Amino acid sequence: MNALYRLIGIRQSHGERTVLAIDDLALFPGKLYTLTGANGSGKTTLLTLLALLAPPTAGELRYEGEPVQWTNAALLGLRRQVTLLHQSPYLFDGSVFANVAFGLKLRGIRGDEKQRRVEQALELVGLPGFGQRRARELSGGEAQRVAMARALALEPKVLLLDEPLANVDRGTSELLEGVIAALPERGTTVIMTTHDPEHPGRLGGEQIHLIAGELACPGFVPEINASTGFQTEGVSNRAYL
Amino acid sequence: MEFLAETFRTALALILSLDGEVVTAVVTSISVALWSILFATLAGVPAGVAVGITEFPGKRLVITILNTLMALPTVVVGLAVYGIISRQGPLGELGLLFTPKAMIFGQTILAIPIVANFTLSTVKGADPRIIPTALTLGAGPFQSILQLTRELRFGIMAAVIAGFGRVIAEVGVAMMLGGNIRGYTRTMTTAIAMETGKGEFALGLALGIILMAVALLVNLFLNILQQR
Ligand SMILES: Nc1ncnc2c1ncn2[C@@H]1O[C@H](COP(=O)(O)OP(=O)(O)OP(=O)(O)O)[C@@H](O)[C@H]1O
Ligand SMILES: [Mg+2]
Repeated sequence: MNALYRLIGIRQSHGERTVLAIDDLALFPGKLYTLTGANGSGKTTLLTLLALLAPPTAGELRYEGEPVQWTNAALLGLRRQVTLLHQSPYLFDGSVFANVAFGLKLRGIRGDEKQRRVEQALELVGLPGFGQRRARELSGGEAQRVAMARALALEPKVLLLDEPLANVDRGTSELLEGVIAALPERGTTVIMTTHDPEHPGRLGGEQIHLIAGELACPGFVPEINASTGFQTEGVSNRAYL
Repeated sequence: MEFLAETFRTALALILSLDGEVVTAVVTSISVALWSILFATLAGVPAGVAVGITEFPGKRLVITILNTLMALPTVVVGLAVYGIISRQGPLGELGLLFTPKAMIFGQTILAIPIVANFTLSTVKGADPRIIPTALTLGAGPFQSILQLTRELRFGIMAAVIAGFGRVIAEVGVAMMLGGNIRGYTRTMTTAIAMETGKGEFALGLALGIILMAVALLVNLFLNILQQR
């Protein structure tokens, strides 16, 4: 099977500090990966790279066998296949419906089809009938789930989930785990970060573990740091244009 | 004391009777200010957004210049534009001097730095996740900037209103470029400045009251927007 992503000699640095150093990693289509590691180990940095939101400082990223060209024209097509659910997602001002429909409209999906996909996505995350609620008036966990619905509605080829279950209650967590675990069968590749030691086993799939920005050797049992940040690190309006 | 009370009564009567001279000055003021702020918005908002979201060498300098321009004395703008549009100036053939167009020209220049600066600070204070979120959902660079301005609409509206507040209340440009021609380029501020000196104190006071009311409204608006 051909790799979906291939990372070769990837380095990501902030100033002098190298926060991600991956010499060789291949990720295959239709699989589910859990990405683990302590706070600051580089998980979000890796997902931001895979989402094609920030070019690496050094190294080569291949997507479907082709080296990624970091130009606006090339990126637009690729980014439409890949969606990142941010660690603390941002909802646009407006209704829940408008948020979930945002990416659909950009893809020219309108009318009934748009309506159907929005409703379906909200149902998947356990928020049916939330369409007309104002996004800004949701609770933290509800907002997290709306952001998840916004990503699911796109039915992307690759879904990158940065701690999607960190803020939600137990029942919802089980619901979403079911949704996430079912995605690979439908052809979506999932890469999901988590601090829950039970997730890798329960969700199946492969585990990628990072220690200080580097891949830990296979079979390594990670020590888990349960605290999750409420951060916007690694992301900036400026850096992407 | 009797003089003041009497003048005040006359001023109120002028306002309430919709005195022709008062109405014309108010209409001229507001229409010139609206045109100016329209042009200033078209130039200032994109400029503010562009400076806000890009990194380039000399950005600091540009921001410093914008800040300095924001405090431009109105008479200096009047002087500069006068030089450009007076008969011997580069745009002299257009015959703009002492027309409402000349005032719009000057007030646009006055308002651009204000609109740009306020827009810039809104953009700088924006949530850093807006653009990456739009991008990862499939927006192109232009669409994500559009989304950014949509999210910042209240801040940008505040920038525009602040610019309006500056031009509606200024007298230097209107006087030097408009010339305070009765029924043509006479605005609230030029009328107050000149007519009071000629003893038309009641007319000045009437316009002063209206100007205050407009300023109050503008600030009220600004306050509401800044609460959002
Ligand atoms: N914009 C930035 N500037 C400087 N350093 C950064 C920036 N973004 C991330 N870092 C650093 O890079 C390292 C990796 O960060 P990253 O967000 O990838 O960690 P993480 O594994 O997602 O952590 P967490 O579990 O807390 O979410 C951290 O040490 C962080 O401080
Ligand atoms: Mg993280």
